[in-house]
This record gives sequence, structure tokens and C-alpha cells, in this order.
Amino acid sequence: MSEVARLQLICLSVVGCGILILLFIKSVFPRVIGFVAIVLGLFMLTALAVPQMRSLPPVEEKFDIATVKTPTDLASIGQKIFFSKGQCALCHTIGPSESARCPDLKGIGAKLTREFLYESLTQPQAYIYQDYRHEGLPKMYPAEMPAINKNPIGLSRNEILSVIAFLQQMSGEPISINPSELEVPGQAPAAPVKAAQSSPMAVAQAH
Amino acid sequence: MGYQGGWIQRLLRSGSEHGGTLLGLAIAAGLFSLPALAFGADVAPAAPTEYRDIPYVGSRNVIWVVAQLHLLLAGFVLGVPMFAWVCEVVAWRGGEKRYDKLAKEFTKLLTSAYATTALFGAILLFLLIAFYPKLMNYLTDIFFPSFILYCLLFLIETATLYLYWYGWDAMATGKKKTFHIFLGFMLNFFAFFIMIVPNSWATFQASPVVIAEGTDMARAWAATWNPTWWPVNIHRIIANVVLGGYICGAYAGIRYLSAKTQEERDHYDWMGYVGNFIGVFGLLSLPFAGYWLMREIYQYNQQMGITLMGGFLSWLFILQAMLIGVLFLGSNYYFWLGITYRIPGSALKYRKPMLAMLTVLLLCLAVWMTPHSLVASLEEAAKMGGSHHPLLGVLGVMSAKMTVSNLMILVTFMSFIMYWRAGKQDTAGWAKIAKAIMGAVLVLAGIGVIILGVWGYFVPAIIRINYFSTSQVLIVIGVMLTITPLTALLLKSAKTTTEMVWGKMPPRAGYSLVLNAIMVILLMTLMGYARSSSRVHWHVYGVVRDTSQYAFSPALGYASGIMALCTFFFCMIVAFIFWVATMGDKAKAPSAVSKDALPHGMPAMAGASSALDAPKAPKF
Repeated sequence: MSEVARLQLICLSVVGCGILILLFIKSVFPRVIGFVAIVLGLFMLTALAVPQMRSLPPVEEKFDIATVKTPTDLASIGQKIFFSKGQCALCHTIGPSESARCPDLKGIGAKLTREFLYESLTQPQAYIYQDYRHEGLPKMYPAEMPAINKNPIGLSRNEILSVIAFLQQMSGEPISINPSELEVPGQAPAAPVKAAQSSPMAVAQAH
Repeated sequence: MGYQGGWIQRLLRSGSEHGGTLLGLAIAAGLFSLPALAFGADVAPAAPTEYRDIPYVGSRNVIWVVAQLHLLLAGFVLGVPMFAWVCEVVAWRGGEKRYDKLAKEFTKLLTSAYATTALFGAILLFLLIAFYPKLMNYLTDIFFPSFILYCLLFLIETATLYLYWYGWDAMATGKKKTFHIFLGFMLNFFAFFIMIVPNSWATFQASPVVIAEGTDMARAWAATWNPTWWPVNIHRIIANVVLGGYICGAYAGIRYLSAKTQEERDHYDWMGYVGNFIGVFGLLSLPFAGYWLMREIYQYNQQMGITLMGGFLSWLFILQAMLIGVLFLGSNYYFWLGITYRIPGSALKYRKPMLAMLTVLLLCLAVWMTPHSLVASLEEAAKMGGSHHPLLGVLGVMSAKMTVSNLMILVTFMSFIMYWRAGKQDTAGWAKIAKAIMGAVLVLAGIGVIILGVWGYFVPAIIRINYFSTSQVLIVIGVMLTITPLTALLLKSAKTTTEMVWGKMPPRAGYSLVLNAIMVILLMTLMGYARSSSRVHWHVYGVVRDTSQYAFSPALGYASGIMALCTFFFCMIVAFIFWVATMGDKAKAPSAVSKDALPHGMPAMAGASSALDAPKAPKF
């Protein structure tokens, strides 16, 4: 017997009990309980009559360095991180949107160097970012960019590089990160990505 | 495991040396700790525990039931003070003691209900810490300052509640009464904050914002001010009023059914009317708040909105439509029964309008319950020309549903106005003009809502959501704000042709009040499931993934079983609270209602004739 059939049987029993109570018991409180049982049983029967769909979780993506052979592989992993663990899409959009709370990242990989992107992700307060996309004085964005390599997001260096690869790819730029730059677990870390010697002009370009 | 077993044995040996009582206690403690041993057996010693489970029942189900019961009880203890305070103010300003008595009767429930709510809150907290340590650690790290604030609020609320309840008789007159009213206000004021603080935790789970570095306070504040916090706050406060009102109605309904004397019947008939009135009053504005919440969810994350309205939860909204529809029908039916039985002679006069209203309500409900896409075989789909039925597919979209929900609100509002006006004859010279204006407003509003609904099919969704649907809501609010004061002014000078008779309602009126309360409770459990399931496999949406075996959302049929169980448990708990709270009264006096407190005429809330509001002189 399927789960739905079992539940339907239980519902019918509940409704039946309610009807029996109403038919044979005269005291008010048990009769009200019988009435409630009928209502709840009918509600369950209705809920069982509609399509029964469960929402199953997707298979969790894991960053496996062994699978990364080309820069495109890296960008593919970066895209998954962008929309999941990295939480980038919580605030940023790719393309203009009324609900965006932070800068639109469309074309950002073409506007900024990889070093500047890395620094923006790990030291977001190094420069003051403001929203210039309207008339009048620039405004602060409603949400503040967190350091992406620290908790609660805590992306690893490899993960940050893959996100940068994704940003470059979706901006139509050649991916400047080579899979050989990734840290292999158990080996000494590669040299840190050098921060760009950015001028105020670089900040303005970001917008 | 072996170590823990040895510990229990040593304890048992120690117990036998110190006598039977200690032994009994130790055995009891051992028995209670058995499930913990089962949890411990699954835990790897090195890695921190992320989840614990409970055999057979499942940790998720236990949390589900306890959290839902806590939430329903919390809604009750936050809704009842609002209800009681409004009644007390009505009594204070209008001089009708029966409202004061009603307010006191419900405040008496608060002390025991408050303790039960806190008890379930504590059980929920312990279970959450036990079953979801990783998630609780994450939330504590963010919200710790608001935990402290919550504790402080509880202390203040408890003190205020004690003063409010125990000071009722001592502060019954003069300036003391004014202070008592102020205490009632403060009780609700603190209760509001007690509601919105935990709302921030729950809404953060559904719509988290990125937390930057900063002080604990700054982080907690940033997380609190998440996009769905205020829509949920407003939605819940209105829902609590509705819950409080309908539960009061259900209580009155049961007492009415079991009333032994005419006096009791009079009293509980009147109480049922007040409960239904307050429930309907809140219900009329609830869909607007719900609409705002859904709009914010869509703005926050379109995927979450689609999961709710178009994804695997879309059928849930058909069930919601059914429950709301039954609630609207039940509330209207109670009004119509009131017209028929409380105002003799009115049944004939209002039969046709009642039939018309019933027809409109049923048609609206049918449209609201129409699914957008139907479950069909390939053959059936081919005959239909796709997954959408050519006619029903058109009715299943939001434009149609928004239109009919607004029309149902309009009809319910008119039912109330009809009830209010029944048994009255207008005497004001401008009555004809006023009635013409009211009729025109109603007809134009109905036409306006339908035109906007139809037009909504031909404009982009963003235009419909931002402008058309909002305009429909504003039109309905406009109708209420126009017709209510006009009717009140008209009835001020109206002559009462038929005196209101209480205690003559048929038994089905009592059952309809119970039905309304069950519908509201089921709705709350249903939407609790919707809110939780909209996060799909995330504890905190997009941030903390649920990696337990319960990361899936169960199907509606299974979920409805848990909802029904929660509803039943909650009803039993509330019945127990009512029984305990009124036990003393029964012992004190054989009759619960004194002659002085008998209802007389129409209640002030319904705008009765002032002549009938004055207490009748006792006959000797």
C-alpha cells in the first residue's frame, strides 16, 4: 500500500470517527471534537487529492581540483560558487535589476583586472564604493560587501580564483587564470595574488 | 556507549545505598536519558556534531510540531491582549461593563496561556540546540545581542502582565482605571517587540542579507533588518488579531452550545458575535499584508517566489484558497444567521441580497481555487491543447485571483454593513443621498476591481504587480473608509424598528464559529509549512545548507497530516487552558452570568442604537 493510500485510509477513519461521535454522543464537548475531526479529516483528504510533489535537494557541488583541466572548467566551478556558497547573487545581479542592492556585475570582468577583483573580494573596504547610477549625489549601497575569504562565507583562494574566472568569462574576456595557479591540498600555497596599484580612477571605473 | 552504561550502573548502585526514593529518581533519569544514548551512538567523537535525530519519529517532525504549537500559542497570547485591551477601552469610553467583563475574562486566560507558551518556547529551544547544533551556533553568532534583548523584553512583559491582571479590580475606577488602560497598552507594546524580535531570526533564515564585519550589535542589526522582516511583522500582527478573535468566537460557540440557562445563551451568543466581528475585522486586511509579503519575497529572490507560487508549492495555494474561502463563507454565514435569528423580520427583507452574496462568494472561490496548470495525461493534454486548459488556464493566473479575493473582501464587508443596518430605519434628511453615494461607491469599486483584473492580462507582470494589484487593494480600502463612517453617521440618528434578540441562534451558529477558528489555525499551519519549505534545502537560504537526511520538503499530503495534528493539539491545549481558567468561576457561582451583566441591545461595535445600549432597569 502506498503512503498516500495509507494516509487516505487514516483520514477516512478520522472522518468516520467524527461522524460516529456526532451520531451517538450527546455531550457537547465530544461532539465538537467529532466535528473538528471531520473538518481535519476532510482537509487532509483534499490535500492528498492534489499532486504529491516532494522537493528533493540537488547534489552538492564540491570543488575538486582534479577535475579542473582548462580555464573554462575553472569558470564553470566559479559560476556554481557565485550562485551558491559564495552568496554573490544575494546582492549582486548580472544585468540591471530594480531589486539589486549592490553593483551590477555585468561586464565587470572586462572593466577590472583580476588583481583588483581579488582585492575587492578580500579587502572590500580598501576603497569606498558608491552608487553613481542616478542623478544627483552618489549614494551608499544598501548592503556592505563582506570579506569573502572570511566567515561566514569563507571562500578559499582556489574558489575566489574560480569566481574571478567566471566573471571574466561572462564578460567576454579571455580567462587570465591558469589551472596551474590553483593550490593543491598538502602543497605549499602559491604566491598571493598581487593587489593592483589602483588609483581613484580605478574606483570610478568600477561604476 | 559502554562508558555511559557503566555510569548508569554506578548511579544505580549508589541509589540502592541511599534508599528507594533516590533509586527511583535515578531509574527515571536513566530512562529519560535513553534516547540521548541513542543519539550519542551515532556521533563521531572527533568532528563537531551537526545534527542529531530521534528514532522512529524523526527530529524534523518533532521540531515541526513543537515549533508550530509554540507559534500558535504565541499568536494566541499576543492576539488576546489586543482583543482584551480594545474591549476594555470600549467599556471605559462607552460605559458598558459587559465589555470590561469580557476583557477580564480573556485576560484571566493569559497567565496560564503565557506560561504554556513559554514552556513550549523552552522545549523548542532545547530541541533546536540538541537537533541542530551547527545551525543554532551560526544563528547565535549573529543574533546574540537580540537574544539578550528578547530575555529582557520577556521580563518586562511578564511584570506588566502581572500588574495588568492582578491590578484589574484594584484599578477599576477613576485615574487608576486610566493607568490600567495604560498598562494594557504597554502590555501590547512589549508584546509587539516580543513578536518582532524572533521574527527577525525566522525571516533572516528565509531572506538573509550578507553580514559584514563589525560589532556584534551592528551585525545583529544588519541581519534583523532583512527584506521580509517588516512584511512578516505586519502580517503576523494582523493574523494574531484574527486568531484571537476567532478563538474567542469558538470558545463562545462551545459555551453557547452547552449553555443551560437563557442568560448563559444570551451572554455567549453576544460573545460569539464580538469574537467573529474582531476576526472578520482583521481578516479583511490580512490579504493585503499577505500580498505585500509575497511581493517582497519576489523582489528579494525571484526563484523563491517562483518556488512558492509556480513551483512544487503552487498547489499549496489552492489549498490556501479553499481554507480562506471556507473562512469567508463561514464568517458571512454567521452574519446572515445573525440577521435571520437576532433581528426578527429581517430574514425576508435580506434573503435576496444574501443569496446574491452567496453566489458571488462561491463564484469567486471557484476562480480562486482554479489551478493554473492541470494534472493531465498526455492524451488529455493533447485534447486541451497543452498543459493549460483554454478557459481554466485563464482563470488560474494571479490577475484573476487578485480580483476575486478583492471581491470577496468587498462582499464580506457588505455583509457586515447589512448586519449593522438591519432592524434600523434611517431618519436623517440626507439618508437618501448617503445611500445613493454608498451604492454608487460599491458598484463603481466592484467594476473598477474587475476592469483592473481583466486589464492585468494585457500588461507586463511588473506593471500589474506594482500598479494594478495595488490599485485594486486601494479601491477596496477606499470603499471601507467611505462606507463605514457614512453608515455610522446614518445610524446615529436612525430609529430602531426591531430590537436585537440574543440567545436565539440555532446550534449550527456555534459550529460555524468553531469551523472558522479551525480554518484560521489550519491556515497558519499551512503557511508555516509554505514559509519553511520556500527555503527548500537551506536552513538559511543560500547560506547554510541543510545536509541532514531531512533536507527535502515533504509532499502536501504528508504535511497536511502534521498540520492537522498540530491543529488538534493546539485546540486541546487551548480547551485545557479555558477549562483550567474557568474552573474557579464554576466553583464560586452556579451561574456564570450575573443579571446585571446581561447583554442588552446591539453591541457598541456594531453601532447599535444608543437607546438600546443603556442597561435595562430591573423589574421588581
